[in-house]
Amino acid sequence: MSPIDPRLQEALDGERDPGDLPLDLREAYDRLTSATQLLTATPPVSVAARVMAEIRQTPAPVLPEAPMRRFVHFLGRPRAVTVRLRPVWTLALAAGLAAILLLPSGPGGGLTPGVSEGVANFVGHFPGARSVEVVGSFNDWSRGTLHLSDDDHDGIWHAAAVLPAGPHEYMFVVDGERWVPDPLAGRYVDDGFGAGQQNSLLIVRPVAAQP
Amino acid sequence: MRWELVLALVVAHPAPLVAQNGSDSTRLAGRVPAAALPAIDSIIAAAVAESLPTEPLIQKALEGGAKNIPVARLVSGVRRGLLQLRQARIIVGRSVPGQPPPEGHVAAVAAALARGVPGPIVERLLTVAPNEPPGPALHAAADLIGHHFDPDSAADLLVEAHNKGLRGVRLLDVAVAADHELQRPGGRTPSEALAHVRAMLPNVPAAEAAVTRRGTKGS
Repeated sequence: MSPIDPRLQEALDGERDPGDLPLDLREAYDRLTSATQLLTATPPVSVAARVMAEIRQTPAPVLPEAPMRRFVHFLGRPRAVTVRLRPVWTLALAAGLAAILLLPSGPGGGLTPGVSEGVANFVGHFPGARSVEVVGSFNDWSRGTLHLSDDDHDGIWHAAAVLPAGPHEYMFVVDGERWVPDPLAGRYVDDGFGAGQQNSLLIVRPVAAQP
Repeated sequence: MRWELVLALVVAHPAPLVAQNGSDSTRLAGRVPAAALPAIDSIIAAAVAESLPTEPLIQKALEGGAKNIPVARLVSGVRRGLLQLRQARIIVGRSVPGQPPPEGHVAAVAAALARGVPGPIVERLLTVAPNEPPGPALHAAADLIGHHFDPDSAADLLVEAHNKGLRGVRLLDVAVAADHELQRPGGRTPSEALAHVRAMLPNVPAAEAAVTRRGTKGS
């Protein structure tokens, strides 16, 4: 490092009038003071801040996007979902699910038979009847579980039900009080109570055996 | 949320199905006149003691209660069911080697007897296929006899159908085919109808699909 001229040092320290310096030292003095001013001045904005500001101010190019593509993006974009449940509603929901899953569905509750089940279709001609239901061994002879309907009011009542494969004895109950064998059953069996009444007999084929 | 999940699982866990496993008395209570219950309980207890199936007796009692059958006739009907089960067990014991006789066999034979199938015919059909569920063959025999075919000829046809490979509900198709032949325009005698079906074996037509508006169907 070359030593600085003592006269220049004195001028920089304010101990000598810069105007007394010879011309070459005067030029050096001017350059050094300019550089000092540059170094001491606070830059208004950092480079990074200026770049980011530029980016923010530049509007993003808007590309036209097809509706289907936007929908796919909507579906695929992860979103935070917050669910807040009150305990009472949680319990009610659980009880509802349990009821749906556990309560037995009666005959006719669905027409998708299992392997050891089949579909039985009950049809009867009861013109003028107000109600017709089927009661039999498949529902423990309980009333109110399998009603026939006559939507077009032509007197032909019908209902379909999924039943366990095998024989089932049954009767129609018309208007809630009249017990009638199914005239189309084709099979009948004495009911055994000594009055000569007959039950209808239906043999349900397992679904695997139905053509 | 964790405790709520636990509670939900507890509620949704299958509870013991009391209604399905309840005692016979529980099933009958409120469905059968109280005056009939002691006698019916006694009949069912006798069936249990003799290792006979009780479900046909319970069904008969429930049926009587639903139909408002007077108590004396209701009890008589259930007792008649017990007698048929006893007779059925004797037939099964003679026809099916091995003890005890399958419970399903006894109930099926009792049902066939109730439909009017003679005991010797039942015994013969059981002997042909002692290890197969006898219900379809017995109901096919009952169908044929119910349509006034000779019981022995009906049994002959069913035995031949079995020997030619027909099993289960396909035996019901044999009875249906015989009935169709009997009702064919032009008229056939029962023996002609049976001979015609015998010639078809084992290719008797399958029953039509169960769901139809033309009548109650399941077989």
